[in-house]
Amino acid sequence: MGTASDELPDETLLAGLGAGDADLALAFVRRFQRIVFGVAITVIGNPAAAEDVAQQTFEQAWRHAQVYDSRRGSVRTWLTTIAHNLAVDVLRARTSAPVDPDDLPALLTAVTETPERVAVANDRAAGLRRQLGRLPGPQARAVAMAGIYGMTARQIADTEGVPLGTAKTRIRDGMQKLRAAYLPENVDDE
Amino acid sequence: MSEVNEMGCAEFADAAAELALGVLTGRERARALAHLDRCEECRENVRQLTVTGEELVGLLPAIEPPAGFESRVMERLGLGIPGLVSAPAPAPALAPAPARARRLGPARRFGLKLADWTGGGGGTGRGGVSRPRRMLAAAAVAAGVVVAGLGGWGLHAATSSPATSPLSSAALVTASHQTAGQVYFYDSGSPWLYMSVNIGSRSGTVICQVEGPDGHVTTVGSFQLTDGYGYWGSPAPATDGPLTGARLVTTTGTVLATATFAA
Repeated sequence: MGTASDELPDETLLAGLGAGDADLALAFVRRFQRIVFGVAITVIGNPAAAEDVAQQTFEQAWRHAQVYDSRRGSVRTWLTTIAHNLAVDVLRARTSAPVDPDDLPALLTAVTETPERVAVANDRAAGLRRQLGRLPGPQARAVAMAGIYGMTARQIADTEGVPLGTAKTRIRDGMQKLRAAYLPENVDDE
Repeated sequence: MSEVNEMGCAEFADAAAELALGVLTGRERARALAHLDRCEECRENVRQLTVTGEELVGLLPAIEPPAGFESRVMERLGLGIPGLVSAPAPAPALAPAPARARRLGPARRFGLKLADWTGGGGGTGRGGVSRPRRMLAAAAVAAGVVVAGLGGWGLHAATSSPATSPLSSAALVTASHQTAGQVYFYDSGSPWLYMSVNIGSRSGTVICQVEGPDGHVTTVGSFQLTDGYGYWGSPAPATDGPLTGARLVTTTGTVLATATFAA
């Protein structure tokens, strides 16, 4: 049986975190620590650096709880965005290549075929996941390198050994297809 | 300023995805942001791509962090693990909610990912991240003001949280039975109150009042509405029992909306 705080909405736990309430803050951390750490470790790869990023993420959430805007998106997405931005900052500070191209297939498989997420994903997220799996390989890799690892088109072009224009086109086309899958009501906007 | 720097919609469309993902750099990024400032259609395009990119990150698998992670986070925040360490919440302070992210200019809303969400403070933010205690003190604003833009929760009727929870909530309802927001009362050792309002297009100062179990009405504080939207939190006043309701009142005393907490 869960405690009362386990049953509270995400936004309430965030409000409690911002208020410095230890019970609600702990419930908030427990609820989101796996997805936050998952983003950090996937992007960075190094467990110690990933934990630091995950800790920073909760610290940022605590500090900025008062300006979270629910109309902008869910608490979960807000948190993963913070974690991702912090992780990409760490990645960009490295002198080594942001990602080993050989790691990309495993990442794409994890993103498109995670059973737990499939079970709980809403229709839009499921559509996005399916579309990502359907993208031509080069486009999926370009989207993953830009969207997950924060690589520029130039870095992608160098990694893939293709012209800059080709890398930019792959990012553009891949993202447009994903948007059409995630926001199908806007598909005619193009 | 020069014509050379002008970016048209067609050229922008080629760069929109990179801007949305935060990977557009240098002069091209500056030109794209300049274009966004004057093109609403392209702003919407980037907004959709940004949302899509954020959801893409959300597809990453959840992974269990190392043992003890939650304790280290709580320590970093200057909070104790309940049941292990007694760490009272910091004394909250009354403060108005800051301007919302939607007040930012378009170039600031798009392509600046954390700032987009929080209305500023991207990156590691002010003051660095290594002094949580100092931040706790400095953020008396954040502490207790408890604010989280809860206006979109979609609660339509007075509700209460589970019986074991110290949290109660109730809808703010106008005289014409329109839902105008939500009130939350957290009845902990340091009780606090949070109000989220979305009421037409009214702007200006409004007042929060609460009603105690004896019917006595207490003015708790005031805050600003902008285009009908605002949110605010405060320590709740001490009463001899649980609060029974709350009111949103104008500075001239007109009651805009009321909320009744379930008994």
